Amino acid sequence: MAKRLVCRVQDVADRELRECETEDGMKLVVANAGGEFFGFQAACPHQDVPLCEGIFDGATLTCHMHLWQWDVKSGAPLGIAEAPLQKYALAREGDALYVETCASALGAAPLFSGLGAETLAALERLAKREEFPENGTIYNVGDPAEDFFILESGRVEFLIGRGEHMRPAGFRLGRGELFGWNALIEKQPRRIARATCRERSSVLRMNGKEVLKVLESDPASGYVVMRGLAELIARYLAGDAPRS
Amino acid sequence: MRVQVNARNRGYEFDARPDEKLLHAGLRGGIDLPYECSTGTCGTCKATLIRGRVAEGWADAPGKKFLKSGAREILMCQCVAEDEVMLEVPKFVHPMEPGACVPEANAGTVHRTRRLAHDVTGFSVELERPCDFDAGQFVLLAPTGVVGFRGYSMCNFARGARELEFVVKRKPEGHFSEWLFGANRDGERLQAFGPLGKAVFDPGLGKNILCIAGGSGIAGMMSILARAADERYFERHSAWVYFGVRAMRDAFYLDELAAYARRFPGKLSVTLALSEDDVPAQAARERPELGFAKGLVHEVAKRAMAGKYQNLRAYVAGPPPAVDAAIRMLLLEAKLTTDNIRYDKYS
Repeated sequence: MAKRLVCRVQDVADRELRECETEDGMKLVVANAGGEFFGFQAACPHQDVPLCEGIFDGATLTCHMHLWQWDVKSGAPLGIAEAPLQKYALAREGDALYVETCASALGAAPLFSGLGAETLAALERLAKREEFPENGTIYNVGDPAEDFFILESGRVEFLIGRGEHMRPAGFRLGRGELFGWNALIEKQPRRIARATCRERSSVLRMNGKEVLKVLESDPASGYVVMRGLAELIARYLAGDAPRS
Repeated sequence: MRVQVNARNRGYEFDARPDEKLLHAGLRGGIDLPYECSTGTCGTCKATLIRGRVAEGWADAPGKKFLKSGAREILMCQCVAEDEVMLEVPKFVHPMEPGACVPEANAGTVHRTRRLAHDVTGFSVELERPCDFDAGQFVLLAPTGVVGFRGYSMCNFARGARELEFVVKRKPEGHFSEWLFGANRDGERLQAFGPLGKAVFDPGLGKNILCIAGGSGIAGMMSILARAADERYFERHSAWVYFGVRAMRDAFYLDELAAYARRFPGKLSVTLALSEDDVPAQAARERPELGFAKGLVHEVAKRAMAGKYQNLRAYVAGPPPAVDAAIRMLLLEAKLTTDNIRYDKYS
């Protein structure tokens, strides 16, 4: 992907946010943190509100609508935010800022936010993009759980139980969210749900064992991922109170 | 009608009554669906319709500007299920905590309407069924025959309340305020749904309190002060109240606020901020318990509060621009964390 001009450094004052658009129509919000520039998705992952209308103190970016917050260095969610911001690496040449990557959903994956750039790149190399048609099945109950998936676009529905007892598990994934995560956990060899695409969907497939190998070579990143995975599982458990 | 809501963490099923808004049906079932204004303005309750049909209550709801066109997105606070419906909500949704005041439909009768300022009226609603609410919450009210609910914060506090007190500012083209100001409404019936709202005070908080209110935003603060005073909260904690109006003639509740300031000297201070007029010397003489300052309420609070932001919970209510400005101040100047900023936008 060729580099594309985002803006000039003088366009964004210190401790300010500005929405910029590349020639090919990609929108970013650029934050100036004391002369260091960071690029993120232009709209809040919560309600698609423009982040350029948000509040920025040089370290924390806040969406003014519902006060979701992120660390400007990583895009990691803070406080009540439920999703990270997709970060775009900006390259500075003179007074121009360029964006180079056409980042995959990996950069927007909450589980991988806050990882070192090298480890993220190694994970990116393991990801295989797959497209599924409407009603396509990604996996079935009882299938071996070797890979996990990150949703890039579309909509995936999960059904649990067997035969006539099958019912929707009822959770909804956003872009960058992980499913089939038992591929990252020991002694969970089989799928416990069926994942079906309710519309044409694009996912990143990643082999659990290979990902664990990459994380073992960078234990600091591995620790971040495992903490994130524990939080993810706890969140599902907390939501699993009896149905009303 | 059967409704299924798929949230990011799990699914919920509940039944909606005929003509019942989807948001109300879920909340009544103890499911903490996302909402803020619950009256069609803020867009917080948006959901994607996956299956089934809904009927839309208010086709011109301002909150529809937050919906993506062609994406089958709806506002749950405005829509009614017409058959079995499946929705997706792009948030984590949890059951309400045990002990939460679960909202429900209620009805009541207006009485004791009284003019508080030239464009502000106070009134009480005697409820058909008693209602538990938290200090700082609001209910939706609609007179029989007036289309659409409006949200109003309770000014009083009581457990198992039989009577709720409100203030309403006169607004051109505001259906409820036109109705209320149009004639003496004592004895008229209202439909109600509530309590709602997350800008609540609980005496277990254990922090000092900062209240920043614009205009009728003072309503919820009165409930918070009533609750805190009942619980002798100000023996251990301080409170600062900043009440913003344009000019002296717009102010109300000054007797009540002065009484609180007299009752808790050195612990509770109340400042009236006048955005347009200079402070009349006579006003300060007449009410020595109150502080007076000229300026926008968040700026007055900013000048006076420097250095007092430790162990603090802020409550903000009023018109959206005033609330946004106060939140910006609380994040950038006070460096409060977002869980210590509770707000209610009167949109």
